[in-house]
Amino acid sequence: MLVMGEVHTGLLQNSGEVAASTCRRLLGLLAGQTVRVSRRPIVHAVSPDRLTGVDCRLPSASQSRVRGVGTVLTRCSITGGRVVQGSSYVRIVRAAVDRRLPWSHYLARPGVMEVLGKAKPRDLSDGFTDDLPGDRLSGASAGRTRPDPARPDPARGDRGPGWSGSAPLDLGAISGRFVDLVQSSPLLDRRAPFKIPRTRLRWVAESASESGAPAIRFTLHNDQLRTLRLVHDGEFTPAVAELCEDLALHDWLLTTLLVIVERALTGGAPGPEAVAKLTPAVDHLLHLWMPAARVDETLTPLWESLERYPGFTRQWQSLVDRIRDQISVNMLTLLIRKGGW
Amino acid sequence: MLVFAISDKGGTGRSVTSTNIAYRHALQGNDACYLDFDFGSPTAGAIFSVSSVARGTRAGGLHEYLRGELTEPQRIDVWAESDREGLRVKPPGAGRLVLLPGSEGGGELSTVDDEMANRCVQLFSRLEEEFDLCVVDVSAGRSFTAEMILQATVRLPAVPFRWLVYHRWTRQHIIAADGLVNGADGLLDVGARFGHDPEVLRERIRFVRTAVLESEAAELVGLRDEQRAWLSAYDGELRELAGRHGVGRTAMLGKVPLDPILQWREQLISDEDVLATKIANAETAAAFEDLAKKIMDDSAWEGL
Repeated sequence: MLVMGEVHTGLLQNSGEVAASTCRRLLGLLAGQTVRVSRRPIVHAVSPDRLTGVDCRLPSASQSRVRGVGTVLTRCSITGGRVVQGSSYVRIVRAAVDRRLPWSHYLARPGVMEVLGKAKPRDLSDGFTDDLPGDRLSGASAGRTRPDPARPDPARGDRGPGWSGSAPLDLGAISGRFVDLVQSSPLLDRRAPFKIPRTRLRWVAESASESGAPAIRFTLHNDQLRTLRLVHDGEFTPAVAELCEDLALHDWLLTTLLVIVERALTGGAPGPEAVAKLTPAVDHLLHLWMPAARVDETLTPLWESLERYPGFTRQWQSLVDRIRDQISVNMLTLLIRKGGW
Repeated sequence: MLVFAISDKGGTGRSVTSTNIAYRHALQGNDACYLDFDFGSPTAGAIFSVSSVARGTRAGGLHEYLRGELTEPQRIDVWAESDREGLRVKPPGAGRLVLLPGSEGGGELSTVDDEMANRCVQLFSRLEEEFDLCVVDVSAGRSFTAEMILQATVRLPAVPFRWLVYHRWTRQHIIAADGLVNGADGLLDVGARFGHDPEVLRERIRFVRTAVLESEAAELVGLRDEQRAWLSAYDGELRELAGRHGVGRTAMLGKVPLDPILQWREQLISDEDVLATKIANAETAAAFEDLAKKIMDDSAWEGL
């Protein structure tokens, strides 16, 4: 029917870049399985997938009470030893029968949530991307849900037809908790070079066979919250989720750079102080920009359409140029003042 | 940096001073947030002039978050949501100023379980990731809230934190402030129980004197000579008392002068209040400014 996901992206709480081997240990905390590390074109480590059992209401634009049961798939990643992401998604499908089945049924379908009863995909996707209680500010107060158990809880299996769960699915809570897990590792010194909020990207993907031509729409809601709606060719594959993670990563980089430039260059005359505030960006961020580095070929047209509008790389490049110009001008000023020129 | 603001007695001006520290810190270009952990009386919204949460928020407050009823507490962008015209525009160069309100009618914590302490750890850890300064206003006296914070900070060994203990410049307040830190079931005592090293913890605690009348203050001008002489002598006695109780100059981070405006209304003191309408004293704004700098300045916190 459709796929919903939420990616949280933040600065890894460490003073410097973290080595690939440390990334492996950081992400290995999540499970006994191996952490995948790729080194080209940038070091990228991904934890094994983890499942969270959920039995809750699905978001619905018409406020219908739609119940879904299944498992949410979550993984964490670290890019360039610097940026951490928690990404959760779930494929929503219609259930064959209108009642909850034993957990073994859902465990055999990782990352799938079955909808009991009637539901319109449009209603669900609108509910997920438009009903944003955290829209008031900072993406906070994101709802009252708690898809609590870290693993499916069979004890909840015998909830009968009297089910009255009122908490809607909150993928963000799951993603956020996994990011917390990484950030709280004793392997990190927690002396990050600058303070910066996490961003959250909420996405919905539908197949073109059900919803028309491939398309992508990216919306900024506030400083931290973004939504992405996309229609892709063919069936859903994890590559779609990877595209969203890559977008979330680059949106975070761009957002963060904008904040750093704003902090450095507003409210005062540019000078050594401003340059000192820009330096962390040079040290820790500028080399991380690699749009679509890991995006599947079939999906690159979607990335490219975002590059045309709003033009992520265009804005990034202009900021990078601005930072470098500021630093050069400041260096010249210092040299002239010292009589070295 | 996490800063916990506490006082032994009520009416010390703890909340109003703490909010002003957060406000000044944001004006100095840093991102600051303010957590209203004064659960019995969550009125920080009123001080920030956000009337919708003047007595705490109806849904999404810190109470509900700590009880596990929601995954993230509500946040209020003071620059966007304050009712005061002068606050509603973020001054150029200022950082973020965010209020996390308490829950309306929440009441003091009656117990602290492990789950609650865990949620507190998660909250502090997330906020510290994005804010330069997180001011946590803890209710007056010994409380489960203070206990929960001491538990949480043990579990965050890499996160820097400091305590500010507010007291007025009176005999009772000086003795009470000492008791809150050094006495039985005081901060050091309870902290040690949860695994803090008392000596390290002591180095992270400083006192702030509030509503202080300086001998050259304008408020003293109308006084008779006898009164002034008595005040001066008694001030000396208090200084001696404070020294004996470990609340003396060396353990003090700063002091806030008595300002009539704060006696009448707890509010943020903006530069406009000092320069344009002149309802507040310049010394008061300067004291807040100074505290907002010292709170992060390691040299002000070096060993005694």
